[in-house]
Amino acid sequence: MAKNQIRIVDTDIHERVQYADILKYLDEPFKHYIQNCHWIQEKHMPYTQPAVAGVDRADAVLPDGRPAGSDLAFMQKQLLDDIGHEFGILTSALDPSPSSMHGWYEMATALASAYNDWQIEEWLDKDDRLYGSVHIAAQDRDAAVKEIERVGSHPKMVQVLLPIDDIMWGDPFYHPIFEAAEKHNLMIGMHHNEPPVYYGKWPRYFIEWHTLIPTAHMKQVTNMIFNGVFDKFPNLGLMMIEGGFTWVPHLMWKMDQQYRDLRHEVPWLKRKPSDIFKEQIRVTTQPAEELTKQEFMSLIEQMGTDEILCFSTDYPHWDYDSPTRALPNMDAELKQKIFAENAKAFYPKLPNS
Amino acid sequence: MKEQVVCKTTELEPGEMKAANLGKQNVLVCRTLDGKFYAFLNQCNHQGAPLDKGMICGATTDKSKPGDYHYCRKGEIIRCPWHGREFDIKDEGRMLANPSKKLPSYKVRVEDEDVIVYK
Ligand code: FES
Repeated sequence: MAKNQIRIVDTDIHERVQYADILKYLDEPFKHYIQNCHWIQEKHMPYTQPAVAGVDRADAVLPDGRPAGSDLAFMQKQLLDDIGHEFGILTSALDPSPSSMHGWYEMATALASAYNDWQIEEWLDKDDRLYGSVHIAAQDRDAAVKEIERVGSHPKMVQVLLPIDDIMWGDPFYHPIFEAAEKHNLMIGMHHNEPPVYYGKWPRYFIEWHTLIPTAHMKQVTNMIFNGVFDKFPNLGLMMIEGGFTWVPHLMWKMDQQYRDLRHEVPWLKRKPSDIFKEQIRVTTQPAEELTKQEFMSLIEQMGTDEILCFSTDYPHWDYDSPTRALPNMDAELKQKIFAENAKAFYPKLPNS
Repeated sequence: MKEQVVCKTTELEPGEMKAANLGKQNVLVCRTLDGKFYAFLNQCNHQGAPLDKGMICGATTDKSKPGDYHYCRKGEIIRCPWHGREFDIKDEGRMLANPSKKLPSYKVRVEDEDVIVYK
């Protein structure tokens, strides 16, 4: 297939740390809490694991039993070399994943620093194709800003990762995080953790929760735009990761119509919301709904631009999207944009030659 | 390649499956709990995952009513290692959620201890 000629930029790859591997990057007493007190990050999901190997692709679990995503050599073989990635952006997995931790601010902050150091040493420094996300414990805003200052200038860190969970990040309280990100040419990457899509509770079934994850993405986009984040930080961009993309035209229309009626409440918006979206927000493709070519092209037309979508696999998770099978066939120019150029144009620190 | 011995009957216990080659094609040989053998193309018809990395299991069936699970068909369902789509071994490899989609299948016969797959 012609897609093979494009060297893809994959905007969502989940590397995974194991507790034992992160210890050497942690200071005491946090090391002690993990090593001797067996602390693990909290878990909430009340459902059966969705697929054959839980939330992972069953064929991505390592032959020696280590979890999927925990070994660079295996990932190189199964993903980066096999598909021929030009670049891949690491977004981490749950457990432990400091950017998505609740409570215990001190542990979350220590874990974020350790995670960033681990990520740089074990992944970013070892494979030219891989770029990273700065983990922060954003619930402790000031510590988060310090961490961005500490590692944000690393040449391979391209974004700051924020969870989509129970905090609305457009709140002015969190703006110093955006200020620090913008200063270091970092974009914001938002990925859902376990957003309460049902009025603060879990629905009865995983399929309900997983169907509605895009609504949590829509809430964050709406919140960021109307709180004026993009007007205040004109060089900041937001990548919405793993919420699919068919919701984009709906939200653009809805926000524009509301803005025409209610602009007086948010006078700091100098552009209509859909223009802000087009200029400063990007969306990864996975998990792609199964659209026909006609449906897909019509959706892009409804977005009013073909520069929003950025391809992602979500490797090694169970709902992985294959670069040759997940999206309908499209003409070469559009393919080039979605599979590579849009992401390169979005991330200032990604080489764009 | 018209036909090929893919394994011995003793190499595959009931409820197991394995990948084998038939010429250039990668084939999934499955054995259900009644001891019978079946063979399909070892490639999911959704996005192409290698099915031998998934599992053989049972399934919650369409006899289930809201709030009431009915589970059976043990050893007769292939579940894909990626998105978990389920295929019915005893019903021509049809996808449970969309029976109009089938896994391409092969014929199988057993001669002495040889499991032979053919078109
Ligand atoms: S590739 Fe098999 S279910 Fe998607």
